[in-house]
Amino acid sequence: MASSCSQALRHHVCKSSRILRVHLQKAWPNRSFVLNPAADQQPAVSSPEEEIVIPKKKTWSKEAVLQALASTVNRDPTASDYRFQDDPYLTPKTSSEFKLFSLSQESGRNAAKYFISTYPKYFQKDYAQPHIPCLMPETLEAQIEEVSEAALIERIQMRKVKAAVDLYDQLQQAGTPVSLDVTNQLLDLICFYGDCDPAQENVPEQRNEETEDVQDEPQTKKGRASKASDKLKAAWKENNNAERIFALLSEPNTHSYSALIRGMVKYGAYSKAFSTYTDLLNNQLKADVSTFNALITAAPEVKEKYNEKWELIVDLLKQMAEQKVKPNLLTLNAVLKALRRCGTVGKSQAFPVISEMRALSIDPSLASYNHLLSIFYKPGAPFQGQTDILQEVMNEVSGKSFTPQDPDDAQFFITAVRICLDTKDIEQAYRVHELLGVGENWRLLGNDFQQNIYHARFFSLLCMMENIDVVLKWYRDLVPSVYYPSSNVMRDLLQALDTDNRLDLIPQIWKDLKQLGHGNRQTLVEELLTLMAREKQNQEVQETFAECALDIKKMYDTGDRGKVMMSWTAGSLSDLVSVLLAAQRRQDAWEILKLFKTHNRVPSEELLDKFLTCIKESGDVNQALELVQISAGFCLPGTPKLIQRVQQEFLLSEQQKSMLSDLEIQTFNSD
Amino acid sequence: MAASVTRPALSSLCKINSNINGIYSLTSFSRRISISSVLSTSAVTTETEAAGRGVRGQRRSKRQAGEPRTERMTVDQDWTAVYPTAASFKPSAVPLPVRMGYPVKRGVPPAKKGNLELIKIPNFLHLTPVAIKKHCEALKQFCTEWPSALDSDEKCVKHFPIQVQSKEFVSAGLSLRNPDVRIVTLKVKLSSLNLDDHARKKMIKLSEERYCKDTDTLTITTDSCPLRQQNYDYAMYLLTVLYHESWKTEAWEQEKTRADMEEYEWEDSPSQKKVLDTLLRMRALGAKDEVEEGTREELLGQPAVQEYRDTMLRLKNEGETEENLQQYKEAVKKLFNI
Repeated sequence: MASSCSQALRHHVCKSSRILRVHLQKAWPNRSFVLNPAADQQPAVSSPEEEIVIPKKKTWSKEAVLQALASTVNRDPTASDYRFQDDPYLTPKTSSEFKLFSLSQESGRNAAKYFISTYPKYFQKDYAQPHIPCLMPETLEAQIEEVSEAALIERIQMRKVKAAVDLYDQLQQAGTPVSLDVTNQLLDLICFYGDCDPAQENVPEQRNEETEDVQDEPQTKKGRASKASDKLKAAWKENNNAERIFALLSEPNTHSYSALIRGMVKYGAYSKAFSTYTDLLNNQLKADVSTFNALITAAPEVKEKYNEKWELIVDLLKQMAEQKVKPNLLTLNAVLKALRRCGTVGKSQAFPVISEMRALSIDPSLASYNHLLSIFYKPGAPFQGQTDILQEVMNEVSGKSFTPQDPDDAQFFITAVRICLDTKDIEQAYRVHELLGVGENWRLLGNDFQQNIYHARFFSLLCMMENIDVVLKWYRDLVPSVYYPSSNVMRDLLQALDTDNRLDLIPQIWKDLKQLGHGNRQTLVEELLTLMAREKQNQEVQETFAECALDIKKMYDTGDRGKVMMSWTAGSLSDLVSVLLAAQRRQDAWEILKLFKTHNRVPSEELLDKFLTCIKESGDVNQALELVQISAGFCLPGTPKLIQRVQQEFLLSEQQKSMLSDLEIQTFNSD
Repeated sequence: MAASVTRPALSSLCKINSNINGIYSLTSFSRRISISSVLSTSAVTTETEAAGRGVRGQRRSKRQAGEPRTERMTVDQDWTAVYPTAASFKPSAVPLPVRMGYPVKRGVPPAKKGNLELIKIPNFLHLTPVAIKKHCEALKQFCTEWPSALDSDEKCVKHFPIQVQSKEFVSAGLSLRNPDVRIVTLKVKLSSLNLDDHARKKMIKLSEERYCKDTDTLTITTDSCPLRQQNYDYAMYLLTVLYHESWKTEAWEQEKTRADMEEYEWEDSPSQKKVLDTLLRMRALGAKDEVEEGTREELLGQPAVQEYRDTMLRLKNEGETEENLQQYKEAVKKLFNI
């Protein structure tokens, strides 16, 4: 219950009012006002002209008041996720810190659960009033030891696949008949887990109970990547326990076939699934709706051409109608998902399918809309006049609150925002974002990884399409409380700043960049420097640029501590010097100029020209001479021009004039 | 940064693990930590972190605290979102430059950062007027309409003379239960009950200290039963029993003596007897003896005697004040024709 509570509080989008359960109940009147018993008056009528009508008392569920009060609370745009401590030292500032902190919290919780379950005798006392069952130790070992059907049921409920199969074999050998229901449950268990023990959620690797098949994954990892690899590793093996037990059954019924077929489809044995289905038909049994759903999911795998796939699906649906099996939402979603693999056939058939299902009063869920959008908007394909489909879908779903009904519901928002990004449709993106704020829809955004993708796409679209004020408003709203942008997104933001000519905000963005941990990305930093150095701004802005530039310089100087993160390039050094010069910081610029030599980079002629102009304003002749010497040291072709300029513009002493003429001859000779 | 964070964690775990049998738990923890440190290799955060991982020596660069979130708060932000519930004072979340504490010598009270005094005291940052308004709006749906006929206090008291009070408690802790929630207090004005003189006096005598003379209120507090419903029923039962008992007259109530009386009565009191005696003697000096009975009534009926009676009653029942004593003096003077 603790974990479900924490998930219940996970919302960082503005909520509209929640649905409350308020019942009006009949009978017993409000008991805080009771009349004088001796006077024996009825509460309703006191005097002829007024009648006191006491309204009936309302009743509500236990959490209704709390939910009502919670509906007044919006998201705080400066606070980080509710999971973390609200302290400037302890809140995560980068996305890797966010992952680390949330995972470490989870691992701590798992460790605690592990201890409680492993040593339950120390945790028996129950302090909580009312009783909280999920905080009590849970039994990990099966209790019933003897070989009986009850023991089998217990092992099935504890999801111990291997133990259940062994016990079943023992029961068969002992000759005790196992009822068909229990065997069906066993088949369900085996087919769901693909004949391997499920990786225990809260227990770190228990070597004594492990078999070779259990994947050695870190249990705390929650990304989609781990689940996909789970599925890929486990494949439907030949003659595995499910098939064996199924063969032992004398009269398999619909449930047994259903379990077997669904297991086969889940673990990739598609053609086998279809042959099992033909067996089922041969035995004159009817299949149930989940069998058909599984078969429809498997249909695109067994056929090659688009129309063959579609014909197979239509065939299955017709058989479903013959056997009088009513389709449900998962059928619709399976058909639509299969249509994704059917190319142009999918495009023509998608809408008819939806309208037929609507006629059977099956309302599409977010997963159906997701599949629909994926059918029409293939990633990477050019779009020709299909932009209105997204709009139609958004018209359908706007303002509605959806509950999770299908695992693919969580993909809808990511797909929708991807399409908005690809079609550059900011209006629809706003509508998608608004939908996220309706009711319970925030639950359908997915885990942290998916939320990151969603926000990255949304924010990139904003940077592309909206003007800088709107972008900054969203930036301040989302970052860093909800979303830690990656360096690409920050680059988009910089481009948006550039487009709208708000380069004065660069020092602020640099501060955020440092905090987000992108302060040592070379390309990003170089782009920053280029943007700052490009034009001359007014005085205060230039000052801030100079400060920012010096700060950036510090990021390069990690030499005394170990690894050097970024290396100077000629371009970045030149930009840095230009910025400092524009802010009249000659001394700092001079230091940087010396860095050219240390890092083996060659300055450009324009840079030295600019520097000379700056020196001229201050009139420091020695520095001018040093500048010329530096230029000569690099053997730059522009050195003679520099020398000429110095001779013309500066007041030189005899010594200096002779030095200059020597240099001139030197460069002339070297050319 | 991962290394710098996890090293102290690992050292503390070492101390814990010494108490736990089985080394494999230590290795499993270390594996989990090393897995999580793999995550952060993708993005190196600051130079200090990089240095920390590069130099595995004593010099570990400290993680820098970020700026407090008060810097990012706008002036027109929604404060109810920052402090939605009762929470302790967070200096990084409250943008006010408060100071609290005893000032050091010739100094000022310490600032809010790290100030334990501010954290110790209860704050009402979650109950600003805006927040209360919002809460009231949200709670309106649980309320029913007030009966329109009851538009004044007097009418409320007239139609609903009994008031029952009980308390609800909300607190965060191990248990939701609070034993004080069972206490029920029942208040009723005796003037609204149908009592005659004897019943009223008996009721007051029976209720002893539960009756307040100034406000004429009988207050019954019950907490002997474990549930509020039971205590309420018990309180109503007590009221009913008191009422009915006070209407009954027992046989032994005839033995009520003058000492049991609540108020001073002038009839049959020593004062009356004395006055009669005195007046008779005054009379007896002048005239012959007449019939005692008639004289008595006649004497008592005289206005001076009546006045004396009134002042005597006032003195005894209401206590001695300047005014009362003055009136007594006048009455006595009139009585004796002084």
